[in-house]
Amino acid sequence: MSSTETVFFILFSSGFTVGFGHCLGMCGPIVASLSLSSKGRGGSVLLPHLLYNMGRVTTYGLLGGIMGVTGSFTRVAASIASFQKGVMVFAGILIVVMGLAMAGWIPLGKVFEDYYNLDGVLARGFRKLSEARSRGAFYPLGLLLGLLPCGPVYTALIAAARAGMESRTSLDGFFLGMGLMLSFGLGTVPSLLLVAKLADLRWLKRRDLIYQASSIIMIILGVYFVIKAIRY
Amino acid sequence: MQANLKTPLFIAVLALITFTLYPWACSATTKAQAVECDVHAGPCSAVLSGCEVSLDISPKPVKAMQDLTFTVTLTGEKADASPYVDLGMAGMNMGRNRVALKPVGEFVFRGNGVIVRCPSGRRTWKAKVTVPDRGSVEFIFNVIY
Repeated sequence: MSSTETVFFILFSSGFTVGFGHCLGMCGPIVASLSLSSKGRGGSVLLPHLLYNMGRVTTYGLLGGIMGVTGSFTRVAASIASFQKGVMVFAGILIVVMGLAMAGWIPLGKVFEDYYNLDGVLARGFRKLSEARSRGAFYPLGLLLGLLPCGPVYTALIAAARAGMESRTSLDGFFLGMGLMLSFGLGTVPSLLLVAKLADLRWLKRRDLIYQASSIIMIILGVYFVIKAIRY
Repeated sequence: MQANLKTPLFIAVLALITFTLYPWACSATTKAQAVECDVHAGPCSAVLSGCEVSLDISPKPVKAMQDLTFTVTLTGEKADASPYVDLGMAGMNMGRNRVALKPVGEFVFRGNGVIVRCPSGRRTWKAKVTVPDRGSVEFIFNVIY
């Protein structure tokens, strides 16, 4: 195995191990919320989560490409820091809204059951997320949430920037950085798919109480996310 | 879930858990000496295999998400290979963040790296300095976010 292949394998296995050890804490609540909020839908829970993960991995790949071109982790990280903070706030609000909706405490609850008549950008956005036939909405959601600040992602991006620095041309750096981050991202997918599957409770016969409890946990987690984002 | 899917799913989950836990199980058998220090005040030092190992990080104060220079100084016999530094967080897998060091003197090695910021807010980091053929020592310190 050449040194380049070794780095790819290291990034993939790093993604796999941090997926189970770290991502579960950061992205787990979001993934679990998406699974739980699909209680009114039919079909497999895996398709929307595959799309969500594809979006997330695409963002990692693009960030890796940028790191590879610039060869500087700190410069790129500094330039996207405030946007990442905004994404973290958005993720927190999203979890809270899904929790409130799942409990049926706000009209948007209908959003997740494929019928409601509210207007407005936010409402339309959440409706897109909810509709069974527009599961493609999970892809852009993954693209956006791929920007969540995350220690292991930063670590992988440092590797991408280093690889870019050692590349002969900017184009080489771009593709090497992108490839490394795609390897890392793919390594994180199994853990999040497992969470998605475990949080899919539609097979339970008497699940209303669990959904009520889950919605409260989601609201608390969402608020915690927002507080963390403000302090970040 | 259909019964015929349960067995392969169980095996897959078991394999995933085993694969995930394997690196931790290995690292537990080669646990390095841990030394707490104030990296903002000056170099961190420890004795490893009868020789002193010191790690200095600059610029100070040491902040996350900025370019840092890591300098390792050894005493005793000349090392056969350059030492290296692995950055991580105690009790949390942050991925592999290795700082490669190059010799800048007979006993002095230097390299560049970044300590990343963890959204959890935890600030305690560890820098594991490995000197080939001598072993490893972990310096534990707080960084500024």
